[in-house]
Amino acid sequence: MELTGEVVINAARTRVWIALNDPAVLTACIPGCEAVEQVGPLEKTARMLVKVGPVRAKFSGRILMSDVVESERCAMTFEGSGGAAGMARGRSQVELSDEGESTRLHYTVQASVAGKLGLVGGRMIDGAAKQMADQFFNAFQLHLAPAQPDADKLPTESKAPKSAQVQPLVTHSRSEDMTVAGATVTRQPTSKLTDDMEWLRVKWFAMGVLATAIGVWLGAQL
Amino acid sequence: MKSAAFDYVKPAAMAELFELLQSHGDDARILAGGQTLLATLNMRLSEPKLVIDITGLQELRGIHQVGDRLFIGALTTHTEIENSALVSQHAPMLTMAAPHIAHRAIRNSGTWGGSIAYGDPAAEWPCCLCAMDGHVHLQSPNGSRKISATDFFIDLYTTALAPDEVVVGADVPLASQADWFAFDELARRHGDYAVAGLAVAASFTGKVAQRVNLAFLGIGTIPWRARRTEALLVGKTLDLATVEIAVASLKAELDPLPDLTHSPETKRHLATVLARRLLSAAHANRSAIAV
Repeated sequence: MELTGEVVINAARTRVWIALNDPAVLTACIPGCEAVEQVGPLEKTARMLVKVGPVRAKFSGRILMSDVVESERCAMTFEGSGGAAGMARGRSQVELSDEGESTRLHYTVQASVAGKLGLVGGRMIDGAAKQMADQFFNAFQLHLAPAQPDADKLPTESKAPKSAQVQPLVTHSRSEDMTVAGATVTRQPTSKLTDDMEWLRVKWFAMGVLATAIGVWLGAQL
Repeated sequence: MKSAAFDYVKPAAMAELFELLQSHGDDARILAGGQTLLATLNMRLSEPKLVIDITGLQELRGIHQVGDRLFIGALTTHTEIENSALVSQHAPMLTMAAPHIAHRAIRNSGTWGGSIAYGDPAAEWPCCLCAMDGHVHLQSPNGSRKISATDFFIDLYTTALAPDEVVVGADVPLASQADWFAFDELARRHGDYAVAGLAVAASFTGKVAQRVNLAFLGIGTIPWRARRTEALLVGKTLDLATVEIAVASLKAELDPLPDLTHSPETKRHLATVLARRLLSAAHANRSAIAV
């Protein structure tokens, strides 16, 4: 399965990058997502309930980021397991560029499904992936675009404790970055270095989650 | 493989069904013929806590004429539609489409309503309903409503069915002398999910087409009505030149989703093969009658 898409998000590039790397934002925007957690500097885990047609499968997945260029691009490899239903794995690339005041987000996803999902899900994988991607970006757009940064604070902050609790599992250097990333969404970044780091992470998070979501969705489509 | 454990209830009245749906919400699944649900359960792609068997609800059965439309109850099986004299007289497209649905054993069990509620993009009944401008009848504790099939199917496996609603049936307009119907699909083996399929519901005055509804299955995430091409054909005689114009228009209009073995180009090509076949057949049929 291959999916390529482009969306223009009505927000500045740095804001998009930060949001894409914020587990709280991702959890809220990915359809059926129960949790996104940072387990390492470049590694996230995600849990989601995939509902496609008659399928109700709980998936848990891992996302690894690479080639991270803050606020610009990153690559992600992901692997998701739906227990008896099968598994999905793949790779995704995301690039951000300025589009006037807005941000153009270009993504490509290559994914494959295995197990029963592969047996029965192959037929509608592309449709399912596209559907999930559309749902994600609609929610993401809604999260970023209509609201002022101040307005974003409340929902983001309410979810922030989740990611903060996850951080102790991470090494110290990582958890610092994580903390910064979590804080950045609610407050405007103060230093470019931390901003970049945060953005990279955000992008990776978002991409990974998106990729996992797409893989899972694809797999779930019978 | 066997399904995970679940509770089983067989309500005897609609009220009981709605009560169960309300109290169990998304943990409950409705079982009609089991064509899709049982396979899903056995593969453990879904593990509901409760399965509600609606086959005891007699009000969901039967095929009858209501005014100028033919109503088919949700629990009517594919085989019953295939063999129904009422259907072949008033909605011949359904008689043509039924043999394409899977295999005999599955047609004996799978239902009209199940296929509609599920909304598979390669399923025959949703496509036929969209071609014929059928209406889907829904019922909830708050009452009944009717919705046009083209509005009912929203996206991949996504319909306008609310969580507390059930499909009680669907109706289609009665066929008249001016109407002409056809259904055909291309699959790798008979009974497989179709790679592409086409349902045509047309009406003619003599040899001139007044309305040509084209609904494709297996192309998009829902039945695909080719409305631009349909508009081109109104008021035309479907001779060779017109058919080729329609084919060229379809190539531009259809944007198929690929599957694991068929590219969008393949599907687009197969869709136009079907269109050429069926539109030519329509013309041959009307020419024969007109002479």
